[in-house]
Amino acid sequence: MERAEKIGLGVATAGHVLLFGLLSAGFLATPNPLKLNSPPMEVNLVDEVALKSMAPRISTQPPPPSVAPERGPTEDAAPAPEPAPQPEPTPAPPEPVPVPEPARKPVPDKPKEKPAPARKEAAKKPAKAKPAPEKPAAKAKPAPEKPKASAAKSSQSTAKAKPAAPAKASGAGKADKPKGSLLGKDFLKGIDTSADAPRKAAPPPAAAMGPAQKSALDAEIRRQLKPHWRPPSGADADQLVTLLEVRLDKNGALVGTPQVIDQLGVTASNRPQAKLHAERAIQAVKLAAPFRNLPPEYYDQWKWLRPLRFDARLNR
Amino acid sequence: MTLNLPVGAMTDAATISPLALFLQADVVVKLVMIGLLLASIWTWAMIIGFSFTLRKASRQSRVFEADFWKADDIDRFYEARGKADFPAAKVMASGVTEWRRSTAQRVVDREGTRDRLSTAMSSTIAGEVDRLSDRLNILATIGSVAPFVGLFGTVWGIMRAFTSIAAEQNSSLAVVAPGIAEALFATAIGLFAAIPAVIAYNRFSHGINRLESGLSRFADGFYATLSRELEAQR
Repeated sequence: MERAEKIGLGVATAGHVLLFGLLSAGFLATPNPLKLNSPPMEVNLVDEVALKSMAPRISTQPPPPSVAPERGPTEDAAPAPEPAPQPEPTPAPPEPVPVPEPARKPVPDKPKEKPAPARKEAAKKPAKAKPAPEKPAAKAKPAPEKPKASAAKSSQSTAKAKPAAPAKASGAGKADKPKGSLLGKDFLKGIDTSADAPRKAAPPPAAAMGPAQKSALDAEIRRQLKPHWRPPSGADADQLVTLLEVRLDKNGALVGTPQVIDQLGVTASNRPQAKLHAERAIQAVKLAAPFRNLPPEYYDQWKWLRPLRFDARLNR
Repeated sequence: MTLNLPVGAMTDAATISPLALFLQADVVVKLVMIGLLLASIWTWAMIIGFSFTLRKASRQSRVFEADFWKADDIDRFYEARGKADFPAAKVMASGVTEWRRSTAQRVVDREGTRDRLSTAMSSTIAGEVDRLSDRLNILATIGSVAPFVGLFGTVWGIMRAFTSIAAEQNSSLAVVAPGIAEALFATAIGLFAAIPAVIAYNRFSHGINRLESGLSRFADGFYATLSRELEAQR
């Protein structure tokens, strides 16, 4: 080997080693590798689908603007009870600050009307009002007295509104259930009631059966039928399918006799077994009844089992 | 049922080093890589060494030729510089040697001497060219075969990668990519060795051809000079 070749070999080897080292050190690595940001993803495999959507409907209409006045005259007299409990913390006469608000509002006219729709005299009123407060007072404390008084006064000042509805409560002499609302009579003023109509048409679905409940219910019924289901044996007997209609009451007991809706898979060879198959199916239902553990809240779904399918798979 | 899919690649592709690729590879692919790496080293050793040799021979021959034509006395010039070890000097030496042998006798056969001079010098040229281009065919071989060897390594590595994919029953990119990258590395090394080899082979072939034609011209000129001298003898 000549000298030049030796030099060449040395240089080439050194060069390769150098290049290898540089590559190993990431010399030519992509400067800004594209970072694939793939966070773990949860994948749900859904194998059960219900016939009915249970998702709440989403209204496309914006909520109506709130234009109702915050407070208005109460519909209900109910001067006594409500105010009374509240004052409790401060039983003393000095109701003015904490109590007054609720007390006054409810007070206005109702009490008057109820007891004596026809009358407008102030004198009567106080008397009437008196009895009502009595109860709360007895229960709780003397505090109520005050509101009462003020109520009476204000009631006098206010005229007569509605004698009808309130009559009950006041007639009983106990105004402890004030249905007083803080809304004025005109709280619907700004709302477009026509636009409201369609929204009412689509109420949120109630306790509909979801796929899970439905399959669980089916499985439960099948589980209870299984021990009593003994299909006939014979040529092609496993091809027979009997569909029954079964009615259950709320306790899971049978109502009436199961009816055969249809029989499938009847061929020439298994025709002799077909009738027996249906009888065994009905018998199985009778033996299995009453059905237990069926969710009462979904009674609608299982009060009428149709079709209830009996085939070779049921007892497998 | 919830599946947690694997996140990210097992190895960061951007930081994969040749060493890591080599170590991950299959035995066959490793052998291919080692062979190709040696071929590459050899190629570069030859490129460096040969370019030195060729350039030196060409330069020396050119200088020698120029000096020769300027020389007054062939014999003296030969004594002074004709013993050197490069192509032009050797051609001249063979011519002078043959001349001296042929004219040493009492009766000179002119035709025979001319033939012998011509043959001696052309065979010296051929011998020098052969000696120089001795290893050039290695470059040609590496240049044409290395890509195929690398491709073989790649095909083998990809086969193996697919087998392992089948075994793992998982075809995510993170599983597939490293195997294929390591397999492709074999082709990369093959090309890395072959490209310089092909370029160098072409370049050196051209250089040797030029040197050969230069030597032939020099030999022809020298032959003409000797032939005239032969005529003048007696």
